[in-house]
Amino acid sequence: MNTTSPKGLQVSTPTDTTIVLTRTFNAPRRLVWEAMLTPDKMRRWMLPPPGWTLTICECDAREGGALNLAWKSEEADPAMTLQGVFTEVVLHERIVHTETMALGSGETIGSLLEKHEFAEKGGITTMRITQTYDSKEARDAAIASGMDQGMEACYQQMDAVLAQPG
Amino acid sequence: MVVDRSPRLDLVFHALAHPARRAIIRQLSGRECNLSELASPLRMTFPAATKHVRVLERARLVRRRVAGRQHLCRLHAEPLKEAMLWTEQFRRNWEARFEALDSLLDEMKSEEQSRIRRR
Repeated sequence: MNTTSPKGLQVSTPTDTTIVLTRTFNAPRRLVWEAMLTPDKMRRWMLPPPGWTLTICECDAREGGALNLAWKSEEADPAMTLQGVFTEVVLHERIVHTETMALGSGETIGSLLEKHEFAEKGGITTMRITQTYDSKEARDAAIASGMDQGMEACYQQMDAVLAQPG
Repeated sequence: MVVDRSPRLDLVFHALAHPARRAIIRQLSGRECNLSELASPLRMTFPAATKHVRVLERARLVRRRVAGRQHLCRLHAEPLKEAMLWTEQFRRNWEARFEALDSLLDEMKSEEQSRIRRR
């Protein structure tokens, strides 16, 4: 299943346990790498859900280095945590990390392996993120997690799709 | 949340999780085809192709009709649209982040340029 935006983000589910995101950026890959893996830069684009704040953002992008994020909400601090370890790092090319998300109570809500690959051509970077979940149910839950937001906008877009022949 | 427990959607995603079946869908998006027309570009035996078509039929992505000795297959796109709706919000959430990343990268590029100019 593929969905494509005019800006180019593609989301596909090539197997029962994976999600693949592909996106191009108008910048060399060393800058994309820096923006995605340096804490002060990550804070700029890792937009939390409405009402949430990113409280901890640590990212040590070396093999064996840790990824440590926490969010708080009006109800809970932390509301959610994300912890992982970098397992493979090829500077500016490829980086793999584990990831476990837990609620503030400590209850684990999912774990996955995330691989980022960066390819550069003429100053344009194509990034491919492959998320591999433990099970199909976990993969489906990850996709479904954002479903309650913006359903109306979603349906409006669907109306346009449904209006096309076929 | 209703959609994430839809067994029908499970069938659709299972049906799409095989390259041969995605190829069949692509082929059928052009026109109605018989089973041997579907089997030959896949370099597949007739029974193997038939098996894939059955998976697609169970997901209601393909409808089959018999015309004389031919089994004609036709794409039924409705369940695909439901599956697309399901991934769309996930995509939008990520796209919002990546648009913020676009602006950050523009900033980083101009900072770099002005550093170079100052040298």
